[in-house]
Amino acid sequence: MTGQDLLAETVERLLNATPPGEDPWVDLAAGGFAWVSVPESAGGSGGDLRDAASVLRVAGRHATSAPIAETMLGGRLLAGAGLKVSGGSLAVVPGPGLAVVDGRLTGSAVVAWAAEADQVLAVVDLDGSPVLAAARPEQLGIERRLNMADEPRDDVRFDVALSELVTAPLPDGAADDLQRDGCLTRVVLAAGALQAISEMTIDYTSQRRQFGRPIATFQAVQHHLVAVAQSAVRASMAAETAVRTVQGGGGAWEVAAARVIVDEATIEGTRAAHQAHGAMGVTREYGLQRYTRLLWAWRHEYRQAREWRRWLGSEVASSGADALWPRITR
Amino acid sequence: MHFEVTELGAVERALQAEVRQFLTEELPRGSFVPGLGMNAAKDPAFSAKLGRRGWLGMTLPEEYGGHRRSMVERLVVTEELLRWGAPVGHHWVADRQSGPIIARYGTEEQKRRFLPPICRGILSFSIGMSEPDSGSDLASLATRAVRDGNGWLLNGRKVWTTGAAVNDWMIVLCRTTPVEEGGDKRSGLSQLMVELSADGVVATPIPFIDGTADFCDVMLEDVYVPDEQVLGTIGAGWTQNTSELAFERGGPDRWLSTYLVVEEYLRGLERGPVPHEVADLLGAAAANYWVLHHLTLSIARAVDEGRSPSIEASLVKEMGTRFEQDVLSGIQALIDLEPGLPARSMFERLLVTATLTAPSFTIRGGTNEILRSVASKGLAPSGGSR
Repeated sequence: MTGQDLLAETVERLLNATPPGEDPWVDLAAGGFAWVSVPESAGGSGGDLRDAASVLRVAGRHATSAPIAETMLGGRLLAGAGLKVSGGSLAVVPGPGLAVVDGRLTGSAVVAWAAEADQVLAVVDLDGSPVLAAARPEQLGIERRLNMADEPRDDVRFDVALSELVTAPLPDGAADDLQRDGCLTRVVLAAGALQAISEMTIDYTSQRRQFGRPIATFQAVQHHLVAVAQSAVRASMAAETAVRTVQGGGGAWEVAAARVIVDEATIEGTRAAHQAHGAMGVTREYGLQRYTRLLWAWRHEYRQAREWRRWLGSEVASSGADALWPRITR
Repeated sequence: MHFEVTELGAVERALQAEVRQFLTEELPRGSFVPGLGMNAAKDPAFSAKLGRRGWLGMTLPEEYGGHRRSMVERLVVTEELLRWGAPVGHHWVADRQSGPIIARYGTEEQKRRFLPPICRGILSFSIGMSEPDSGSDLASLATRAVRDGNGWLLNGRKVWTTGAAVNDWMIVLCRTTPVEEGGDKRSGLSQLMVELSADGVVATPIPFIDGTADFCDVMLEDVYVPDEQVLGTIGAGWTQNTSELAFERGGPDRWLSTYLVVEEYLRGLERGPVPHEVADLLGAAAANYWVLHHLTLSIARAVDEGRSPSIEASLVKEMGTRFEQDVLSGIQALIDLEPGLPARSMFERLLVTATLTAPSFTIRGGTNEILRSVASKGLAPSGGSR
């Protein structure tokens, strides 16, 4: 058993023990799981990206609503800037959109879990170099909004003097790295959720009886089972391979490819799972919608798949015909 | 169901580089007409060269001419061959499934007789499964063998049999016990090895949709098959045949058939930024090739570790063959030329063949409908926590 397996099992146990309706963040934070992959020297829990991914994957498998991914991303940003993490959750401005004008950081962005965060972090460009700017929520204009899965995705307006924020320089390429790592969190979460809906669909269709037999014995329903299982399998393979590559250094190509695969898997997998569940799946009484709503919401975060696909395709085109095969099999 | 992420090790990487270099030297681009995956041309001389390099019968025991290498190493070699469009037709079936099935179920004498020439690339095999009235419902087949002295007398008809007019041998699945006596229709089946030049065997090409003539109709009329050509156990043909299908389904031949169409399309693009719709297609294609490569690698590694990932193989074949068609449709939608013959470019030639043969990708080796049924039986309720 690897360290990642042990970690996943621990988080699995913790989430299983969390009563429905109760906020899982408290226990996740107490166990330090939201700071996995943040160096201990920066106040984190240590471990690498594979460890972080194993936590996120289980969180996705449980449709866990908590700012784990954001806190991990934010923690790594703070550590990269030589700062330390506090004990609270973090929020991260996911992309460009903020600018420093006359010493003031201005602009607006949709930010996950901003209102309850200890700090809202942004990577800003200062004279061509990336700088981390850390604000307290009360320094910002925050309007609560929710994504389709009822997770906080706040409208955040920045209009604050940079001198009032904690700032520190980041390594070159930090903005691109945040795009890549943020996208990777959604890919891993989605892989976990797709695995869950595959299992749910298998279980449900083996119990639900129509025409005197379990609906899983009908060929037409079996085809949905296979479609959702394939979606889960492709997404998992893509996510895990991308995580390994990023851990080894670089990996933007693989993250883009994983995003493309997970997006296709989300479309096919959620459609097949819902079709196999019939009317049961479209009620709030039943758990399927917790997963599918999250999957649909995540598709649009950290730039949607179309942009990653185009970037990947442009890379493939500019690298030329002879480079494609070595790249696929690298 | 289980797909473990795995990577190629140093020895496997070295082998990959070796095969790439061999292909660049032996079959430089432009010196041959590349084929589409396993539909590629038959070239006995090329197969023999592969045999001399030790790249056929790789997983078979050394005492029979094999090389005791892993399934992953075999995958590395076959991926490179298919991706290059190399003429693998002569040895393909023998190397992929006939050799391994003989190694598993054959007698000592059969192994000594058949495996060394398979490993040298000089003995070719056809698959004697489908019949005019038995395709997906294979167990309903009507070809039958009755006891005759120290052997069997075989009568029936096989169809859609690739290469039967030119190959050396065919492993025939046939009924040796009538259904009424055997109980259900899956029992009472046996696998017989039939020499395609034997008396009573008449193989006639059936013109294929693209005008080629590899597909055959095989009449079997009072063909005498001696006992030493019975493969495995009389009556155990269904089980043996099912394990043969597992060899047939989990490989890169199930997602690389149209790879060269994509590569040649890419080669024909003008320098500079590409339009959005081109980037969209290339991005989706690259991502899918990448994940299918890793899934296939995972299956091969699982076999090396002693598991038998037949459900996984069915899942991947089903999605891989659909992808082969989807990516072709994507290319078709992007081009301005009206494909015709004689082709004015390698791209056009490959595109025409791919367009005409693509419907077969999701049929050969088990239709996608059958594969979904097979796979769904492996998707049992987990009882797992969530």
